[in-house]
Amino acid sequence: MPEQRESTITGTRRLTPCGRTRREFIWDAGGGFVGTALAWLLGHDGFFGNAVHAAPLNPLAPKQPHFAPRARSCIFLFMYGGPSQVDLFDPKPELARRTGEPMPNLDADPLFKVRNPGNLMGAKHAFLRCGQSGLEISDLYPMLGRCADDMAIIRSCYADSFAHGSGLLQMNTGFIRQGHPSLGSWVSYGLGTENQDLPAFVVFLDPRGGPIGGAPNWGAGFMPAAYQGTQFRTTGDPLIDLSPPGGLSRAQQREQLDLLARLDDLSPAVISRQDELAARLATYELAFRMQVHAPEAVDLSQETAETQALYGLDNPTTEPFGTRLLMARRLIERGVRFVQVYSGGGHNDENWDAHGNVNANHELHCAETDRPIYALLTDLKRRGLLDETLVVWGGEFGRTPTSQGTQGGRDHNPRGFSMWMAGGGIRGGQAYGATDEFGYAARENKVHVHDLHATILHLMGLNHELLTYFHGGRDMRLTDVAGRVVHELIA
Amino acid sequence: MQRATRDLCCARGSGLLLAAVAKGGMSLAVLLLGGVVQALAAPPTAEAAAAAERPALAEAVAGESGAAAASVAPGAVANSAAPQGPVAADASAPAQADAAQADAAQAYGRHQFDEAERNHWAFLPVVRPPLPEVQRTEWVQSPVDAFVLADLERHGLQPAPPADARTLLRRVYLDLIGLPPTPTEVEAFLENSSREALSLVVEELLSRPEYGERWARHWLDVVRYAESNGYERDGAKPNAWRYRDYVIQAFQQDKPYDRFVIEQLAGDELADTNAETQIATTFLRLGVWDDEPADPEVDRFDQLDDVLGVTASTFLAQTIRCARCHDHKFESFTQQDYYRLLAVFAPLKRPQDGRTDLDRFVGTPAELAAYQQQADELAARTAAARTALDQQEWSICRRLAEAGLLTATPGDDGLPDEALAALTAEPGQRSEAQRELAAKYRGRAKAIIEQHASAEERAALDRLQRELEDLRALRPPEPPRAYVWYEEGTPPATHLLARGDPKQPLAEVQPGLPAILVDRPPPPPEPTARTSGRRLALARWLVQPDHPLTARVMVNRIWQHHFGDGLVGSENDFGVMGELPTHPQLLDWLASEFVACGWSIKHMHRLMVLSSTYQMASCASEEVLQADPNNNRLTRFEARRLEAEAVRDCILYASGSLNRARGGPSVFPKISPAVLAGQSRPGNGWTVSDPHQAARRSIYVFVKRTLLVPELEVLDFPDTNNACEQRLVSTVATQALTYLNGEFVQKQASAFAARLMQELPGGPERDAARIERAFQLTLCRPPTAAELEAVLDFLQRQRAFFGGANSAPPPSTGNARASAVSADAADAATAAALRGLCLVLFNTNEFVYLH
Repeated sequence: MPEQRESTITGTRRLTPCGRTRREFIWDAGGGFVGTALAWLLGHDGFFGNAVHAAPLNPLAPKQPHFAPRARSCIFLFMYGGPSQVDLFDPKPELARRTGEPMPNLDADPLFKVRNPGNLMGAKHAFLRCGQSGLEISDLYPMLGRCADDMAIIRSCYADSFAHGSGLLQMNTGFIRQGHPSLGSWVSYGLGTENQDLPAFVVFLDPRGGPIGGAPNWGAGFMPAAYQGTQFRTTGDPLIDLSPPGGLSRAQQREQLDLLARLDDLSPAVISRQDELAARLATYELAFRMQVHAPEAVDLSQETAETQALYGLDNPTTEPFGTRLLMARRLIERGVRFVQVYSGGGHNDENWDAHGNVNANHELHCAETDRPIYALLTDLKRRGLLDETLVVWGGEFGRTPTSQGTQGGRDHNPRGFSMWMAGGGIRGGQAYGATDEFGYAARENKVHVHDLHATILHLMGLNHELLTYFHGGRDMRLTDVAGRVVHELIA
Repeated sequence: MQRATRDLCCARGSGLLLAAVAKGGMSLAVLLLGGVVQALAAPPTAEAAAAAERPALAEAVAGESGAAAASVAPGAVANSAAPQGPVAADASAPAQADAAQADAAQAYGRHQFDEAERNHWAFLPVVRPPLPEVQRTEWVQSPVDAFVLADLERHGLQPAPPADARTLLRRVYLDLIGLPPTPTEVEAFLENSSREALSLVVEELLSRPEYGERWARHWLDVVRYAESNGYERDGAKPNAWRYRDYVIQAFQQDKPYDRFVIEQLAGDELADTNAETQIATTFLRLGVWDDEPADPEVDRFDQLDDVLGVTASTFLAQTIRCARCHDHKFESFTQQDYYRLLAVFAPLKRPQDGRTDLDRFVGTPAELAAYQQQADELAARTAAARTALDQQEWSICRRLAEAGLLTATPGDDGLPDEALAALTAEPGQRSEAQRELAAKYRGRAKAIIEQHASAEERAALDRLQRELEDLRALRPPEPPRAYVWYEEGTPPATHLLARGDPKQPLAEVQPGLPAILVDRPPPPPEPTARTSGRRLALARWLVQPDHPLTARVMVNRIWQHHFGDGLVGSENDFGVMGELPTHPQLLDWLASEFVACGWSIKHMHRLMVLSSTYQMASCASEEVLQADPNNNRLTRFEARRLEAEAVRDCILYASGSLNRARGGPSVFPKISPAVLAGQSRPGNGWTVSDPHQAARRSIYVFVKRTLLVPELEVLDFPDTNNACEQRLVSTVATQALTYLNGEFVQKQASAFAARLMQELPGGPERDAARIERAFQLTLCRPPTAAELEAVLDFLQRQRAFFGGANSAPPPSTGNARASAVSADAADAATAAALRGLCLVLFNTNEFVYLH
């Protein structure tokens, strides 16, 4: 254990008691996803010939996990807006039976009561018994149902906020307060990444818009920016500002970079920080190389027609999400550690936030995601990647079993909701935990967001209690002072 | 519910272990290893690990600096080895109950703590040391130098040689005003770079508005300055910019720091309170705010925690927030201390209307009362005129109705019976429903009045209408508004909360101060006419001349921004877990001088900048690097990357686009659609300013918590959710992408190239002159011969690229028009080539480093 702890993460960060070093920090914060290459470049050029300076440490160099991981990488499918558990993964006959009756015991939950819930409303769509396990999944997700034996549905999730903003922050960062690093940042910080030409943590947003709250949802919070999520786009350059504007050719930019290197070299300015300066220069070379690597990584023309069709790229309904998932698969194949893909963007029915009409809303969003998710799981499996890739599906909260408005909408509900995981060490074909008879609040084997995070970290080989970052006078964790690994989910 | 196990939050991981390995030697590491493992395996024993860590610090310091070690009291090791006293007490409920009783007896003070805790260096009084003796007396230009040189001589080290005049001038400019010297200013200084000349330059720079703009930004980092609330709506904080302008003015006018502290904490509680001092209290309200909190009660304490936390980190450099849920695991702060301090801020109320965050009028009580009186009077007169007009309209309606001219009519644009009844009922007698109907159908009634009223009636109506309009024009000018909290009524009781949970209140506590910093409980605050006086009492205590922290913390920040790092490297943490001062005597001398000179920040600038220490070159021999790798001994001027704002400002300066307008509402530079796509409503809250406005200094760029300007963000703009005492310096490829390919830098490179072409028109024969000018405007020096050659070669080849497609001579024989076209094409190719040069210059290490 002690050896493991020493080998984690911060090891070299804290050369001083305060928890922060300055001179070495460039190597901690520096490099971004290019750090190892930097170290290589610099080492190659003899910059580290003397041992005076602290050894260069790439923050994103692959690191030893705390214990043997079950998953090498993670794809988090974020159903932004809050998908309805009682319509998708948590069948409730009692709710259907008592449709139209008022919700009993409202006084027990004042924060819910003030939202003036309507009457109970059962699911319109049927639940089907899927796979050999007979796991019940709504017919809104017919193709996904075929993957039931790989899926562990957690029906007893709960979170702390009724609002999108703080709910998204909590699902992404563990805290309803803004300012904490996101799950992907913690994983990048803990494990580094295996391909230094690509970011460790990639985020695909929905073309309809980002989620409420924007960038802090994939931000590094109080950690260095090297750990924040990098947005990839599905049209044009995958990264913002990747290519020079105005048709400047690669040869011309090459000349600019050559001049930059020449001027940096010729500069008569006396600056003692040779390592920092060299690091800066090296990032320009790496940026130049990324102009080739990043587009290649998401070049779907390299995929067969069969694969493209599998992800639904030939259908306008499934094409946008299918494109993002196929790109996600290509990225994790290339060593990207954590990919988050949003389904839904902007506001209300542009995402899963079904206040108006839950059936219309979910019919749309399920149709958009059903085939692509089925394709992702199938494709990962046939490539032998599912075992080492953890796929997580869920939103920032679920929805009420009660109706809202006149068209059969549902309101936000953090008290109980469903998520599922597959691959990466998960024992599929099971439903874990339970909500009450209406599907409102988690009752059995409750799984808080912290528990989800603890479990995800565990599957990736990280102990959530040891994965710490010193900030504001204490060692901060993704799971605050809580978190339980849900071992029952694990094969 | 997530707080149930709060007291486990500080079980520490591997960091200190490494620190011990690095500094304390192997046997100590083994000792610590045991402690840390134990803490992790069984979190409630974290205290034991914490206690075990203290000797590590003492020994580590002893190994590094004799002077620093001397400030750790003898016996500290022995004392702290055994957990005792309230800090080490387990935060279980019985212990809290005991502590609560103790508090009720008002018996608190530093005597509660053991000797090692009391003798922590930062809590000991500042003692002004004599200037040390040195051998190389000629090196001592400022008292600062005596301390630095004595330390160097003690370590057998030599200071670096002085920087050359050109480098020094650029350093002083960038450091003090965040912009480079003009070529003319460089020339003048090169002619006379004597100590006197430098002194004049420094004096002149300190008097410039740009100085305030530069140094205010450092302060804004510490106080988590942002102009939006974060979270779902990320709403704007109305008029928060007035605080930014206040800080700029405060630095600009060298407002004494003690006054600066008091105004920010309690500017509304002062006897001479006015708009400016009230704007200063925006400091307290700059934190994030969730307008739709998950749990409003917890959220209220989160807000107060932000205020308390930023106050403690800004003025005391202490991490007191840890004591919200339990006694601090490492520092000498109890949970009692936390809630005593919380009680100081508990009377603050947030002006809000539901989810809308509001600002408030600010001014002297007399100004505000005068405005209120005028506004009330006007309101009364307006109401009277309104009544008269209503009365007149009613009497006409009634007459017309009686005459059968105003009748109920069916249809969508008719007049229903009940509306007619409402219009003909006397205004004073109308029911609520009738009032609404009368207002709704007033327009229709007026059309009929227009048609049928007599000339007399019409004249009366016109007169009353005019009267109302005249009154509207009389509206008194509003006082300025500011983004501040307010106090009103009796302060609420503050209770100690079990594990920080608002649903588990324990004993009531009174406003107070951290026990470790006081001999005895302070007297109760004296309420003012409008407020509880609690914050004023806190502020007055902070600025007592013998306060051990306030002056040390601030001189350390000033030092930090001149030299890159504070003498205490953890500028917001002067606690046990913080770093020790590298030059404790110098720190104390500066702190004592700061108080003695009347808390003048500019005086401290002069002491530091006009020192040999500051004026050293930024170079180090291999030997020096071996002996002082981290420059803890100040063997050289350590170069550092400029902050994002300075880089952007210097680019705008070079391109000639910089708009030097000062103050006022913030500006919104264009952000690319690809970046805006990350918002749930792309472009929301970001109304793009025109290019001239957008080209203002970066301190005037709107700070939106969920959307940062990329060219600032990639160069480590601070996280605004928490106090930022020191910018990170990350080096990532996205910086290269943003500063090579981003729209901002591309536009500025084009503008810079156009400027060079305009100032130095002509063909390639002017290239050398243009290159020289470009170097002067970016690097403050001419190019060397080798550089000139490299750049000429670059321009030549780039021109070929750009001219390549059109380089064939025009088809018609050399008429004037064709040669003009050709000249234009040549100019365009030259400008394009120059643009490449400008882009490259913006990216050179020399440009983005202060050295």
